[in-house]
Amino acid sequence: MPRQVLEDTLTADSIAADTALAASGDATAFERLYRTHVARVHTLVRRMLDADEADDVTQDVFIRAWQKLSTFRGESAFGTWLHRLAVNVVLARRKTVGIERGRFIADDQPLDETAGKPVSPELSMDFEEALASLPEGARQVFVLHDVEGYRHEEIARMLGVVPGTSKSQLHHARMALRRHLDR
Amino acid sequence: MKDIWTNRLSEYIDGELDASERDALEAHLATCGHCYATLADLRDVVARAKTLVDREPAQDLWSGIRAGLVTSEPRRQAPVVARRRFAFSVPQLLAASIALVLMSGSAMWLALRNEQTPPPTPAAVGETGRGNQFREARWKVQSDQAIAELQDALDQNESKLDTATVRIVRENLAVIDRAIAQAQHALRRDPGNTYLNLHLAKAMRQKIELLRRANALAES
Repeated sequence: MPRQVLEDTLTADSIAADTALAASGDATAFERLYRTHVARVHTLVRRMLDADEADDVTQDVFIRAWQKLSTFRGESAFGTWLHRLAVNVVLARRKTVGIERGRFIADDQPLDETAGKPVSPELSMDFEEALASLPEGARQVFVLHDVEGYRHEEIARMLGVVPGTSKSQLHHARMALRRHLDR
Repeated sequence: MKDIWTNRLSEYIDGELDASERDALEAHLATCGHCYATLADLRDVVARAKTLVDREPAQDLWSGIRAGLVTSEPRRQAPVVARRRFAFSVPQLLAASIALVLMSGSAMWLALRNEQTPPPTPAAVGETGRGNQFREARWKVQSDQAIAELQDALDQNESKLDTATVRIVRENLAVIDRAIAQAQHALRRDPGNTYLNLHLAKAMRQKIELLRRANALAES
């Protein structure tokens, strides 16, 4: 058996064991799960919301995960379950604070997407920074579709829009981001 | 310069145009340098999105989370009455999980099993209750023996594995042993808890499988 396959298997086994321990109330096991998954959760939250909210929301995600661990049945990997929970927390946050209003740009709203050539390298913004500068609606659709792999139908359901809006937002986001490709 | 096709390029990349639209767009791309270049840029953006890396938060958030855990214990399961319908005993689950391992195991594993399985005793035949108890006890003995023998084999095989692999195997065995101990401890207080029973059986199966794989790796 190749070593990488063995290590992947062992990692999955460790996570499964720690998930069982955490569900029985073992906070130390839960801390190991946190250490394993915090980068992925924090990055998702940071990209979906404003950076200054990322720490608070990430903490909220893990506390909710702790509370809901008994509902985790192992049908999917723990990481997948946690990721979906994080998306739900982010979207609930978005609704709670009412920041969704006015953040979805109309098709003809002036996103700076029409330049024919990329900006010069010295002026090129880091791709992550460019992503953070997108209007929230376009940014969230881009993150969910192109980074996280959700389909337009799923995104539309989660965001409460029609799939056509999700497609339009995605195109706007890509057009804006193409100017900030590392070249 | 934008034209009517520019806003359809993302749908083209994602394969969401129907056949007639796709054909028309491809015909357009053959004559429109702007759309052709934009399409290439958009494809680069899509590819770039796949390469973004996750980053740790600037500060450790665990202390805040740990404080939140104090006031929010994990929610326990539904009442026992609702669970009993699906509850299995630990020996039954062990039997099922070990059977799975045996079905997919190596010849070495089969040989071990054959050596361990005693023939049924006359006292066990025809006495259903006592027979069940006997089988359950036998399963437990078999699983313990299997683990012990696989562990002995691994102790001898460790020298054939590199240091990093040995370390990983040992770390994971420690995690699984903790899981087994915790589950056994919790089951003493709540023997009918399906979740704990399943996780105990799963942890036992994982330990057997890990030992088997580590031995197979050493022998390969």
